[in-house]
Amino acid sequence: MVRYLRLYLHFLRFSFSRSLEYRMDFWFRIVMDCMFYAVELIFFTVLYQHTDLLGGWNYDQVLIFVAGYLVIDAIHMTVFSNNLWWLPIYVNKGDLDYYIVRPVSSLFFLSLRDFAANSFLNLVIAGGILAWAILRYPGELGTSNLLWFLFLILNGNFLHYILQMYFMIPVFWTHTNRGLVMAFFSATKLMERPDRIYPKWTRRILMTIFPVLLVIALPARVLFDGPDPLLIAQILGVTAIAFLGMRAFWNLALRNYSSASS
Amino acid sequence: MSLSLFFHLVNLESRKLMSYRVDFWITMLVNLVVNLVVLWALWTAIFAESGAEIVGGWDLPGILAYGVMVFLTGRIVRGGDLQMTISTDIYDGALSRYLLYPRHYAITKYAQQVGNVMPDLFQSVLMGLVAIPVLGLSTTATVTPLSVAMVIPTILVAHLLFFLMSLIPQYIAFWADNVWSLSVLLRFVTMLLGGAMLPLSLFPDQVQQVLRWLPFVYLFEFPTLVVLGKVDFTQWYIGIGTCLLWCLVIGTLSVPVWRRGDLRYTGVGI
Repeated sequence: MVRYLRLYLHFLRFSFSRSLEYRMDFWFRIVMDCMFYAVELIFFTVLYQHTDLLGGWNYDQVLIFVAGYLVIDAIHMTVFSNNLWWLPIYVNKGDLDYYIVRPVSSLFFLSLRDFAANSFLNLVIAGGILAWAILRYPGELGTSNLLWFLFLILNGNFLHYILQMYFMIPVFWTHTNRGLVMAFFSATKLMERPDRIYPKWTRRILMTIFPVLLVIALPARVLFDGPDPLLIAQILGVTAIAFLGMRAFWNLALRNYSSASS
Repeated sequence: MSLSLFFHLVNLESRKLMSYRVDFWITMLVNLVVNLVVLWALWTAIFAESGAEIVGGWDLPGILAYGVMVFLTGRIVRGGDLQMTISTDIYDGALSRYLLYPRHYAITKYAQQVGNVMPDLFQSVLMGLVAIPVLGLSTTATVTPLSVAMVIPTILVAHLLFFLMSLIPQYIAFWADNVWSLSVLLRFVTMLLGGAMLPLSLFPDQVQQVLRWLPFVYLFEFPTLVVLGKVDFTQWYIGIGTCLLWCLVIGTLSVPVWRRGDLRYTGVGI
């Protein structure tokens, strides 16, 4: 464990020094993400000009929900996004060889090696928006609700990564997964809306088979309605099963990997 | 550039894209299902929870029709995945090859962009045939043969405008190594201010007045209103004319950027 932590600190150091080489891109990315945050907030602000509730949530609640989603997106962009972008390229070029022969978990190495330091500032901004949304909330939010919410946001982020991996791993067989990746990004729209707007069966599917509602919508429910042990167990249980499935899928893919360079 | 060469490039690009058939169908299917589910769930909830029968001038089937149509026309207007090719050509030195050709680089890229749109056009027509009967009848929007005929040139002009808008951010690649963020930024801004995320009639009145003076409205909302029969003939040709004027303005603005960038270009990688 300590070895992995030390390795991750090295990843961070390399990533920060590399990102400072491309300063203009550094600032472009910050502006881009800020615009994304503004667009998401404006979208819901305009909707709430025409209704008081959406999926049972008022405007103050939906602001926290959206801010939570922005934090998850910022963590994903900072920690996982670059790594997942490179994965199909490594597989197709045979560069994966360099990673699977190292004496550490290949999944760990390939998922976390590149820390997007230029997105890190956006994570701070998204965190600021979440803090602002929580502080301006007129009702009472209990400390335990808040702690569970923050923990479940981290869990949601992990689940988001796991779900994306399910769409990335088929590249070992198909050699192009552009369609699948585009499909995943389309499907993430489902998590950007309050869960209660969906009909009963759609909601069930989105909480179990393709559990995108567990990423942020249900953690937000825990914040507003209190920590329901059953709901929390469901969120953590589905995440654990999804992770075990993804790891088995990854190992199967590695067994089928034939280096392109050899 | 001769028309036959232009259409040869269009044909070449379409066939290249169609060679990835599994990607093509997966993207189409998931996009259609997800968009229909989100659209239907969101607007049904808004109409139910607000208790209103008309929101921003639309009834429920009308706003669903708007959502589907703006998604279908928007895919064509945005035009495939060529948004990064210009900056990539500049970055990896492939631009040198094009500079040797006796054709203007931007027109060659536009022909490729049009070729990239053809599979999207095919998909959009297919999706429309599936989605429109599901939506039901609206009192605020109707698709007629005339509105379908009017929307074809509207989309072509909107597509040209989007291509020209994305030129300047791409040309920034002459000065910066990575301009992916700028392309995505343009996408966010145009989607929101062009009416791809919401009909602009839902925005506050003062904001709407400002948005009418900007070019974004001609990208997504205008073609959608045309196909839904919400634009009469006079409004239509004034709209097309204004959109062409914006094309001229933005195209003209991109020329000095190209010239300065071209002088700076070093053709790394060749």
